[in-house]
Amino acid sequence: MKLITMVARIDEEKCTGCQTCVKVCPTLAIKMNGRKAKVDVEKCRGCGNCNQRCPSYAVTMEKLDKPYKVFVRIDDLPYEKIEGLCKKAKLNPEQIICYCTATRAEEAAAAILKGAVSPEEVSLLTGIRTGCKVECIQPVLRLLEANGVKPKRPEGGFQWYGRTPTAWEIPEEVKEKYNHRGFYFNEDIKLLDAVREAGKEGK
Amino acid sequence: MNRAVITPQKPRVSQYGVDPKYITKRVSEYPEMTSIVLKDLFPDTPEVIYPGEKGVPAVREAAEKALEKVDMSMIKPGDSVNVCASHHGFTLLGGEPYAELLRAVRDVIVRKTGTENVRLRAGVGLRFRETEEYMKSFKLDEYYKGKVKGVAPVDEGIPIETEIGTLYGIKAVYDADWIVHVHNSDVREVHFHRQVDRAVKPFGMSYARIETRSTYHQNLGPRAANFVARSIFASEFVQKKFAFAAFLDMSPSGVVGVDADNDLYALNDRVTVGGCKNYGKIMTLLGEIDECIAALDFPCPVPYVFAAGVIYANFTGANMDLFDLDVPLPPYTWYTEAFYGKNGPLVKDVPPVNPAIKMAVHNYAWGGYPSAFFSEHIPTVVVGREQAEVMNRDPQNIEYMSCSVVADSLDAAMKFAYHTAKTDKVIIFDGAAGGINVSESLAKLLKEKAPQVNKLVDEELLPKWLRQRGVDPAIIQKS
Repeated sequence: MKLITMVARIDEEKCTGCQTCVKVCPTLAIKMNGRKAKVDVEKCRGCGNCNQRCPSYAVTMEKLDKPYKVFVRIDDLPYEKIEGLCKKAKLNPEQIICYCTATRAEEAAAAILKGAVSPEEVSLLTGIRTGCKVECIQPVLRLLEANGVKPKRPEGGFQWYGRTPTAWEIPEEVKEKYNHRGFYFNEDIKLLDAVREAGKEGK
Repeated sequence: MNRAVITPQKPRVSQYGVDPKYITKRVSEYPEMTSIVLKDLFPDTPEVIYPGEKGVPAVREAAEKALEKVDMSMIKPGDSVNVCASHHGFTLLGGEPYAELLRAVRDVIVRKTGTENVRLRAGVGLRFRETEEYMKSFKLDEYYKGKVKGVAPVDEGIPIETEIGTLYGIKAVYDADWIVHVHNSDVREVHFHRQVDRAVKPFGMSYARIETRSTYHQNLGPRAANFVARSIFASEFVQKKFAFAAFLDMSPSGVVGVDADNDLYALNDRVTVGGCKNYGKIMTLLGEIDECIAALDFPCPVPYVFAAGVIYANFTGANMDLFDLDVPLPPYTWYTEAFYGKNGPLVKDVPPVNPAIKMAVHNYAWGGYPSAFFSEHIPTVVVGREQAEVMNRDPQNIEYMSCSVVADSLDAAMKFAYHTAKTDKVIIFDGAAGGINVSESLAKLLKEKAPQVNKLVDEELLPKWLRQRGVDPAIIQKS
């Protein structure tokens, strides 16, 4: 869940049509209108990626008169289904997977179970990936993959490139070669497994 | 007689914090505040070259001397070289020492190799324009003849094949014939890296795409995550481009010198020893504080404000030994944060945030880092509506103010803190160099505890920490 308080505004005088904003928008809220970028305010989640990367400083973030929340309900789905998907992705449903919005795995899982087939759609529905924009892409890709979805990367965009390795996929020879240097692979796997298996009451 | 306070770091103009005009009073100005010099706490604190009598030229001198020993013969006239930098270096001691190192690196490369095509690529954390601000303020854009670029983790990526699979770097970091890694040895976020491969870490952070950073913070684990950076650095792709590294060698007291090497792992081992020994002592001592008010008063995001050379985020974990790798989770990392369920920790191994911090007074700190965890776990009073508004406008901190209160002035905030926290011990995270600004009551406690901490680290903890990292303690004598 995210409270949306800001919206991006393009200054057409300054916009050079470079499309950087289009390439970094996590909800695909920006399209080109001729040679100028245009924001779909209904899809903007106020993350500021466009504002932070525009080379000509043509984007400002403005406060909304009426902030609103985006979220995906989890209580209208059987919780076993949500839990099953999370655990398949090796996540605990209550685990926070986006630190800026405190979105838990269960909400992203619900978005996917309700039909979201890309990180962009999950972001649009839950607000995940619209805070720091950096840290939460992998859990989203893991959840999509666990649901049998192979998302299509936005063409020409930099929104994301691909899923990367998890603790469970580190080759044994790598573990053996490096664990004496302070890389505690197996010990961390034990911790991550315990988190995944923890029940709703914890412990 | 108590020592006068050390002048705190000045507020800085930045889009990530309030206009400096709103910082009308610093916490160190109160009459009950004093300072302790780190050398007085730990007599074996290394001598520093900065701050010092020579000023910034001491850094230039040390850099040129260290770089003279480095082999640059692989760089030919006309070759392109990317000098890779990170935002954190600019927050150390006002930023000028790191800026001077970046200038010296350019000059020596040009002089020794004959190439003029030297570019600066400066990576960031979660504030994508931060290094642009620093490069401009230190005129590095002019020094590098316009060949500078602030790079962010959402910029165009490049796949890098590693021992653990495909990871992603920022294309602009690697778009040269050679790369030079210019960083510092400050322990910084030891709660994340646990002083494992500190010198290598920027390859998995400052120079990496979002996928790689998300791998570090979500896919591996609080200790194994450190391997992300090494796997990238060790890749054939990076090894073919890597020329050398130059580091501002830091201690909690200031710049100790400049270290440079063609072998990053050798440099890394030296950094490991210095980091564990020097930062290990001050952090262990801060863990002895029984109760306090933490005052945040530095131009940086909440977790990065400094005291005694270490950051606030580490103080929130000072109730545990962050260097001890047998401890699975520190009281604060994003892994720790992630493992809080709706009704508390999901597993029993989640340690509490440092209970000694009874209240945080946010007199001056930026947004640009997800910080709601801190205000959710530590009673927080923010000084001034302008600062509250900075957090409210920050997409990373929509909920920071949900759990904080606002005071109209620092006087009101401190009065509230003293009354509510019921302690007169205050530690000020204001970037004081060479020492630490604290209340007289806290100074007394720290002075009492320092000798036993000194002995404990030297005799028990340091050998254990180095053993866990596979570093031979004998390197201490050599370094």
